[in-house]
Amino acid sequence: MPAKEKFTLFHFINYAVFAIITLICVFPFYYLFINTISNNDLSSRGLIMFYPKDLHFTNYMDVFKIPGLGQAALMSVGRTVIGTILTVAASAFLGYLFTKQMWGRKFWYRYLVITMYFNAGLIPWYLTMLNLGLTNNFAAYVLPFIVQPFFIILVKTFVESTPLALQESAQIDGAGYFKVFTSIILPLITPILATIAIFSSVTQWNSFTDTLFLVTDQKMFTLQFILYRYMNEATSIAQLMKQSTGAMDLDLANMATPTSIRTTVSMVVVLPILLVYPFFQRFFVKGIMIGAVKG
Amino acid sequence: MKKRWYGSALLILMCAMLVFTSACSNNNGGNSADGGTKAPAASGNNENPDREEITIDVFSMLANYAGEQPGWFAKLVKDKFNIKLNIIASNLAGGQQKIATMMASGDLGDLVVFGTNGRDYQDAIKAGLLLDFTKDDLLNKYGQGLLANAPEAIEANKKQFGGGTAVYGVGFDVGTGEGPSEGATMNYGPNLRWDLYQQLGSPEIKTLNDYLPLLKKMQELEPKSENGRPTYGISLWSDWDGSYMTLAKVIAQFHGYNEGDGLNPAGMILTHQNKDEWQGVLDEDGYYLQGLKFYYDANQMGLLDPDSLTQKFSDVSNKIKDGQVLFSHFPWVDNVYNTPERTAEGKGFALVPFADEKVTSYGQSPYGGNRVWAIGADAKDPERIMEFLSWLYSPEGVMEANYGPKGLAWDIDGSGKPFVTEYGWKALPANAEPVPAEYGGGTFKDGTNQINNTTLKLTNINPDTGETYDYNLWPSTLNHNPDPVTKSWREATGVMTAKDYFVKNNMIEVSKPFFTTETPVTVPAQLQQKIDGIGKIIKEYSWKMVFAKNDAEFNKLQEEMITKSKGLGYDEAVAYEVGNAEKMVFPFR
Amino acid sequence: MDINTASKTMVDAKSPKRFQSKDKYYLFLMALPFLVLAFLFSYLPLYGWIYAFYDYRPGIPLSASEFMGFDWFTSMISNEIQRQEVLRVLRNTFAISSLNIATSVLPVIFAVFLVELRSTRFKKIVQTLTTLPNFISWVLVYSFAFMLFSVDNGFLNNLLLDLGWISRPLNILASDDHTWMAMTLWSVWKGLGWGAIMYIAAITGIDQEIYEAARVDGAGRFRLMWHVTVPGIMPTFFVLLLLSIGNFINNGMEQFYVFQNAMNTNHIEVLDLYVYNIGMTNSNFGFATAVSMLKSLVSLFLLFVANSMSKIIRGDSIF
Repeated sequence: MPAKEKFTLFHFINYAVFAIITLICVFPFYYLFINTISNNDLSSRGLIMFYPKDLHFTNYMDVFKIPGLGQAALMSVGRTVIGTILTVAASAFLGYLFTKQMWGRKFWYRYLVITMYFNAGLIPWYLTMLNLGLTNNFAAYVLPFIVQPFFIILVKTFVESTPLALQESAQIDGAGYFKVFTSIILPLITPILATIAIFSSVTQWNSFTDTLFLVTDQKMFTLQFILYRYMNEATSIAQLMKQSTGAMDLDLANMATPTSIRTTVSMVVVLPILLVYPFFQRFFVKGIMIGAVKG
Repeated sequence: MKKRWYGSALLILMCAMLVFTSACSNNNGGNSADGGTKAPAASGNNENPDREEITIDVFSMLANYAGEQPGWFAKLVKDKFNIKLNIIASNLAGGQQKIATMMASGDLGDLVVFGTNGRDYQDAIKAGLLLDFTKDDLLNKYGQGLLANAPEAIEANKKQFGGGTAVYGVGFDVGTGEGPSEGATMNYGPNLRWDLYQQLGSPEIKTLNDYLPLLKKMQELEPKSENGRPTYGISLWSDWDGSYMTLAKVIAQFHGYNEGDGLNPAGMILTHQNKDEWQGVLDEDGYYLQGLKFYYDANQMGLLDPDSLTQKFSDVSNKIKDGQVLFSHFPWVDNVYNTPERTAEGKGFALVPFADEKVTSYGQSPYGGNRVWAIGADAKDPERIMEFLSWLYSPEGVMEANYGPKGLAWDIDGSGKPFVTEYGWKALPANAEPVPAEYGGGTFKDGTNQINNTTLKLTNINPDTGETYDYNLWPSTLNHNPDPVTKSWREATGVMTAKDYFVKNNMIEVSKPFFTTETPVTVPAQLQQKIDGIGKIIKEYSWKMVFAKNDAEFNKLQEEMITKSKGLGYDEAVAYEVGNAEKMVFPFR
Repeated sequence: MDINTASKTMVDAKSPKRFQSKDKYYLFLMALPFLVLAFLFSYLPLYGWIYAFYDYRPGIPLSASEFMGFDWFTSMISNEIQRQEVLRVLRNTFAISSLNIATSVLPVIFAVFLVELRSTRFKKIVQTLTTLPNFISWVLVYSFAFMLFSVDNGFLNNLLLDLGWISRPLNILASDDHTWMAMTLWSVWKGLGWGAIMYIAAITGIDQEIYEAARVDGAGRFRLMWHVTVPGIMPTFFVLLLLSIGNFINNGMEQFYVFQNAMNTNHIEVLDLYVYNIGMTNSNFGFATAVSMLKSLVSLFLLFVANSMSKIIRGDSIF
């Protein structure tokens, strides 16, 4: 983009529209956030609208006192980092392989792609995981995520749109497939790998169903699982109410966690993603490819 | 520049990976220890130095907490039994689906709590997932507390589920004696804002519909809450709806009817608590449709909270707390309003029943209720689990598992009578009051027994003290400094508690315990699917009727609801349930 | 000037030259471990489809379960009222899916215009913050929607009443007006910034030399956007479009579950939610499996149709 271009009407409108969209997207967060740092009483009565009142941070203190939170955070980070590395590496490699003349290429590609469209259901999935020894096991958090057809498609599409000349010249130089992959393809496809890394890390960070069903050992609980528990309490109480044909004298005040804590937990769980995202954005820079070609 | 950056990033990631793979293998190691291989007892300061510490998996379909039991209850169980409780709560982990995966895995953990004695429990027995208490004479050797305090419940379970020989579990709320089993308050109200009701001269309320003009006057008296928000006569919520609108069904419970038949799963019929009478939910003159009409009328008069359909229970609870609601179906819902500050001003909710009311009450049942305690078939150390369970069924266990160790929140005075301590007034029933470290630390609330199922009915008389287990009924509690609202209510009614009022005025229908050898039915899957389809229709139309614009629309919707439900097999469902009730329930009570 | 010059140099994967026949087995061996993983986690559990033919109860072996034949498959359409229900549900599903596909072009537009922003910092801020809604669960979205739109103390009603634009509060959440539209708007709000990430990545992958060449040829901003940027992200767009056609009958249920109520259920109940409402609340696994089996088959059929259409129309297929 030429630097000396004038600030035209186009730019003005463009900036304005994006500013509005951003505001609409941010407001709920802002709203939840100011509610977590305002007087809980006011907030539960819906009196906090635009700015915090009676500022305090006890909600955050309380949340950080939740037992097992530190361990859960560590577990979340662990599965996100390891899971993402493995997923990105596998997607990049497979996406590349599928642009090559491998045996039964078309068949195997379809074999992977169609897995996105069927689902065996909960029980068979659970029994499979159980038989593979993937209950209360960290591997359950990463192994099933390694082969992601969607990411493989993305990489394949991306690789197919990169110049072939480079690969050919490398192959003439006698480089093997693996060598071509690491030294030529990888640098070329960083933008799509960054995308996959973002998608995959967010999936990893956010997933909790595997914890729900596969994990009973609290050492392996994740942050999202803890959040889910809090968010699900109301449903859980409702469930108890539906079941109870007998006594209904449950102590509801005891069972429900205050809304303020629940909101705060959800803030605490989302914030780390926000901090990590700009890290990946570095890869979204035009010209990476040119650099690679020239270097 | 770029390369260096990649390099360092890669290095960091590699390190993280190493750390986590090692952490992971550590976890696995720790796991297998938790998973049963006995680890040597770590500390010597427990009462049973000869016993190794074990962690048992408690799979509770009623728990609202997952993970290791914390606080004072953990300390109690650790000191007494050297057991740690790892609670698995299906309700917090996918509900029915979690139960299904546990069943499919063939391992339900060590101690199991079933929400009902219906299909899941029966399937678990059928699939061989539960331990027979009589195996290896377990019950006689280690279950003395159970045998002493719940003999009939064990016998009932044996006849109903164990083919007369095996015992696969024991029901909750095991009671003795006659009369209502509730504590100081009943499960149902209705409660009104006592201060406003008094200001209006305590008019007599004959029928349910008489509440509406009264609520209108109360609303006019107090059109705004303390925060200037509008007040509503009635505020409803929909997230507790099952096969119909739960809060419309409550109207039947004001009239001595209850859902289901007391044995089989509830569906489309309501039965009387102690007479052999039943109503279909959609009966033209039935209480369910009366309930819908009641709310419809309330809405026509501008008494109904317009958010009733879209809000959740927690929203209503907040509104009650704020003083926006004047009528409450359940006493345990409005207690959030009665704060000490408000009651000191004379403001608060209290029971104001209507003259025709016959409140539904559950009688004491020596056979126990339908929530079941059981032991997993593959439990390690079944002896120690049986001992623990047996303790939960003993007087000492009931007191301590509910109210904490003796001496903390409650104690026994010189004459052998129980009383609530100064600390207890702050902590009970479950407040976030810090607990001294010697009792386990944390807060009283977090430390409560998180398994969330009872054993003996709390209104039973504790043989050790001669008073009930329930501290709310101790004379020392009843006379403990009643707040002005309670005082005023007692003066006006001449009784001490809500239960006394209903009993004294004969406004109560108590279910009689009955013994049956019949196993509760499990509804065939295809019929259940139909019932779920009908339930969807009934829920949808019920709410539409409540918010109907006029009588014509109300009647039209009602007609449509009935036609559609019948088209989906409503009559078949009712006939099935009535058949069960007439065969399995009515003859036995 | 357009992207054709670039595509001439693209990999033609089918080109056989310089690959020897033993290479293809070597390549396959490298892929094999991953194919095995996919088998373990995606194909192996499919044995569970057999539950569709039984009254399956977890824990109880199939040999002891009642055999149902095709009863679960036909149970949804066994009588007139049920057929009407299913038609209604399918109508909702198709409407919402069509709207979602129609709006799937919005992230493309978002990305194309976003890269035109001059300030890098503003661009990054926008890019980051617009992904925020993607991170909140639907449960939380609903509680937020309730705060905004409730009658009693909703933000919007308070505002409109204060401004005097309305005299009686609106009950937006308990209304069946424009339900499909509202649901689509919510999902656009939640997914716009997130969905644009892939296109932003695709744009950064476009060879800068094409822009330079086009600029030398005198192309203005809009011509650059239209003739270089848009063609550059079209492959990605079409791939995603085809994939989403395969998902035409899978709306998911969470969003609709949290927003459903008696007033809007007529238009909000999509297939996934319907199955949940009548099957999963009582864990009828036989029925749920039967439906998911049917859905898988329909999805695969749609995917293959879309793929062949793409081959005919664009001369290119995704697989």
